[in-house]
Amino acid sequence: MSEDLDEFLKRMRRVERRIREYIEEGIRKTLEDIREEYYSINTLLNPSWSCEGHLRPLYTIKDVGNAYVIYIDLPKADLNTIDVRFKDNLMIIRARLTEEFTISRWSGRGGEVRFCEYREVINLPIKVDPNKVKVITKGDRIQVIINKE
Amino acid sequence: MSVHREEILGDFKLVEYVPFKLTRPSYGVVALPDAGLVGVIAAWHIIKALGLKEVGGIDSYSYLPPAIVVSNKELRMPVRIFAGDDILLIYCEFTLPIHGMAQLSRILLTYFERKGVEYLLLMSGLPIQNRFEVERLRSYYVATSSRASELVKGVEVLPFENGYLVGPYALLIKDAMSFRLDTLMLLTESFLEFPDPEASARNLELLSKVINKPIDVKELLEQAELIRIRARDTMKDVVRNLAQMKKGFEYSPPLQL
Repeated sequence: MSEDLDEFLKRMRRVERRIREYIEEGIRKTLEDIREEYYSINTLLNPSWSCEGHLRPLYTIKDVGNAYVIYIDLPKADLNTIDVRFKDNLMIIRARLTEEFTISRWSGRGGEVRFCEYREVINLPIKVDPNKVKVITKGDRIQVIINKE
Repeated sequence: MSVHREEILGDFKLVEYVPFKLTRPSYGVVALPDAGLVGVIAAWHIIKALGLKEVGGIDSYSYLPPAIVVSNKELRMPVRIFAGDDILLIYCEFTLPIHGMAQLSRILLTYFERKGVEYLLLMSGLPIQNRFEVERLRSYYVATSSRASELVKGVEVLPFENGYLVGPYALLIKDAMSFRLDTLMLLTESFLEFPDPEASARNLELLSKVINKPIDVKELLEQAELIRIRARDTMKDVVRNLAQMKKGFEYSPPLQL
């Protein structure tokens, strides 16, 4: 009798585990779909260029323990015009291009736009004290080091 | 878009616009979006430098966006097939979900087998954390057979001895081994999240020696800035996809070396 009960309880636990895994998998997939949808809408509404001639640069934020390091890719930027400012937890970047240019052979859309400047506002994980920031330029890529302490 | 031959393979449709044959020894090149878009940028340059012709395309209603490429007024499929003399090149700027990539990988290898491709050549970036500081990029190779290793004899490239490879090329290499297709992958240190034409140029210099054909990378380097600007949107999409493929695992040292 006791063995039967043990066996029954084991089976119930297995069933419970399977149901839990099934629900977790369902939640995971739904969250992925929501993220995907959000990303698609965000991309659709915010392309990386504007018809006013501004480009949004690629950037990446890395947490290296005692600091955040932000790398920004600014091809064709005029290095003398790179302007990095901070306001609370925002980093505001602007840089003129060395020369205006169009993306040749691109029909319609941005093909006729004359691009002249990079503009971006980056949301940082912390409020920034500009005195604790170091900006290093290497070619047309910049590295911004923000110390956490 | 004139169609010479059309074939449904799983969830994909393969179309050839014109009949073509490869001379021997023949090479298959696959360029898919990965770290720094290194392979895609290099492939774009090969097409131009060697004057490859667009001979076909691949589409999928299940795994590719409902998109069509318009190139010089011609309508083309999202995955593009180029050929010339001894090279058959697959070029794709779109990222595919893992299940789609797994299917496409086997379809490409079946296609290469049918076309008599003898070697599969892949080029990619090897993302390094300090790419910002590094100027002299190191290159490595991975070969699936001793015959494939022979291709780099006398070429200044290091063997990739230990570590993980993650992403679309890892899938292709695994399938190439099942198909017993001699495969060589060239990896040059690169950015992960920024387009890296310099790494592409380095891979091309090596590839040029492997296939014994001159490929001048001067124009590629001259246009590097423009390529980086044009590739921003594709790069953003690729990074998202690589994160889903757990590309970050490449930074982990294997416990068992």
